[in-house]
Amino acid sequence: MFWSLAALCFAMAIGFAWSGYWLILPFAGFEIGLLAWAFRALRSREGDFESLVIEGDMVVLEWHCGNQGGRRELNRQWARVVCNCRTPGRNCRLSLCSHGHATEVGQYLNDEARLQLAATLRSRLQE
Amino acid sequence: MSDAAHAHDDHSHGHPSGIMRWLTTTNHKDIGSMYLWFALIMLFSAGTMALLIRAELFQPGMQLTNPDFFNQLTTMHGLIMIFGAIMPAFSGFANWQVPLMIGAPDMAFPRMNNWAFWLLPVAALMLMASFLLPGGAVAGGWTMYPPLFIQGGISYDLTILAVHIMGLSSIMGSINIATTILNMRAPGLTLMKMPLFVWTWLITAYLLIATMPVLAGAVTMLLTDRNFGTHFFNAAGGGDPVMFQHIFWFFGHPEVYILILPAFGIVSQIIPTFARKPLFGYASMVYATASIAILSFTVWAHHMFAVGMPVAAQLFFMFSTMLIAVPTGVKIFNWVATMWKGSLTFETPMLFAIAFVCLFTIGGFSGLVLAIAPVDIQLQDTYYVVAHFHYVLVSGALFSIFAGIYYWLPKWTGHMYSETLGKWHFWLSVIGMNILFFPMHFLGLAGMPRRIPDYALQFTEFNQLATVGAFIFGFSQLIFLVLVLKTIKGGDKATDRVWEGAEGLEWTLPSPAPYHTFETAPVVR
Repeated sequence: MFWSLAALCFAMAIGFAWSGYWLILPFAGFEIGLLAWAFRALRSREGDFESLVIEGDMVVLEWHCGNQGGRRELNRQWARVVCNCRTPGRNCRLSLCSHGHATEVGQYLNDEARLQLAATLRSRLQE
Repeated sequence: MSDAAHAHDDHSHGHPSGIMRWLTTTNHKDIGSMYLWFALIMLFSAGTMALLIRAELFQPGMQLTNPDFFNQLTTMHGLIMIFGAIMPAFSGFANWQVPLMIGAPDMAFPRMNNWAFWLLPVAALMLMASFLLPGGAVAGGWTMYPPLFIQGGISYDLTILAVHIMGLSSIMGSINIATTILNMRAPGLTLMKMPLFVWTWLITAYLLIATMPVLAGAVTMLLTDRNFGTHFFNAAGGGDPVMFQHIFWFFGHPEVYILILPAFGIVSQIIPTFARKPLFGYASMVYATASIAILSFTVWAHHMFAVGMPVAAQLFFMFSTMLIAVPTGVKIFNWVATMWKGSLTFETPMLFAIAFVCLFTIGGFSGLVLAIAPVDIQLQDTYYVVAHFHYVLVSGALFSIFAGIYYWLPKWTGHMYSETLGKWHFWLSVIGMNILFFPMHFLGLAGMPRRIPDYALQFTEFNQLATVGAFIFGFSQLIFLVLVLKTIKGGDKATDRVWEGAEGLEWTLPSPAPYHTFETAPVVR
């Protein structure tokens, strides 16, 4: 769809520019640029995920966000759940901390689900 | 998941309340509702202008307005109805329904969605404010033809800016809709399984993206002709005013389909529901929609047969225009075939959908008449043309919007609307609309020109009839407003499926649809 739109838009704009009506061309360029950014932005985010696995004494976090990804292993005994909310129950950030290093989790959740995840994690880590 | 030390977006989904909820919302349902309310306000604004126009035309001579103000009314009525009422209403439907129909949690770019909406009230205020400027609002017709548009006062610049802003809003909206449909469909929902409303919006978004630079370039060239001494369209400096018409209609004719393709989609959802049969010829409907979109790029000059062009060009544009009747006919045939031997019931959405099929066909036929170049040269700029495009845009686009609102309102509000009020609204609208626009065919055939505030005595009776119809049609819309407000406030509880014959993902959700939906993607088999 993108390439057909780009070809159509530029063909029309170049046709008009050829006749002297060149001011259509920059608008076509701007618009196709915006469309390209939109498709690219979506493409770069389509593989985003978060994974949190608790196995024995290990807590394994894996994530991919945009062009960045990573993996972190925490000791279950040392892992702490930190949930900070700017106002009670809202604008919350959830992190797993260990050895002075915090890793944010639950970015794709809403506040309600994030608080629920915090409670679940606390109980699972204490088991 | 990222290190907390890294800056990242705040993914909070708290619900701000009051005005901030609406200013900052990125929720597709909130934004859809705002589009629809905005469109309704614009419908009433431009509708009031239409009633003033019709009141002036009730009898020959000047009664309520002066010729310049009359021209301002006709111009602003057209601009606001197209860019302020019909297009935003369909964007409202897209925002509400596309994510629900494809099983997506929201639109692909929710913040851009918010921006796309909030640009519209700014542009509308600019347009409306131009009435207060020295010289009044623009009076050169919604098509903005030079030389009138080059010669006008400051309101012309403001209108060009407003058109730019509305165009930007449309581009952002259509990019959002196209990327949402292409990238965020539920697993298993292949393109050829998509509901037809989604298909028609995908094709509409394509048309919008393809043609908006042409409009933006055209009005920018008008602006530079007005203010920076260029002569793109200024004959005094060697420019070509007719070329503006070519450029404008190269955008303008696909724009006509931008206004009607989503209507086809809505009607294609409603008719199978109330016929309790699957849509007849789904694949042919998709191909017909795509064919109409492709052909729409090849017919623009039928709007300007009268300016003069080679016979070969006249023949090309005449036949290409007639060709559009083929895919449109496929659609009409398929809707009728869907109803054929179905278990029909006639709730208000179905009544509006049936009225759409019948009356849009009348508009289509008068379009075929106008496609014939020698006939068009006779009827150019007469009331026949006014009758034609109002049958397409009122009983076509607007009736489909009413049908869609009645159809999905229980899903949106959780309440059933009053069928009694709905049927009053339907019958008064259909009767009023036909009394208003049908006599205009006769006025046009008899030679009454459009865009004039006074006319010869022989046109009086049909004009009086049209004005009576206009007031019936106009005031019956207040019933619709009351109905919508009553439904939002309360009413019988709507079931999840709402309509017995309804099929699709949106009907699997509770009524009203929760604020967040499809956070886990459904699987379509």
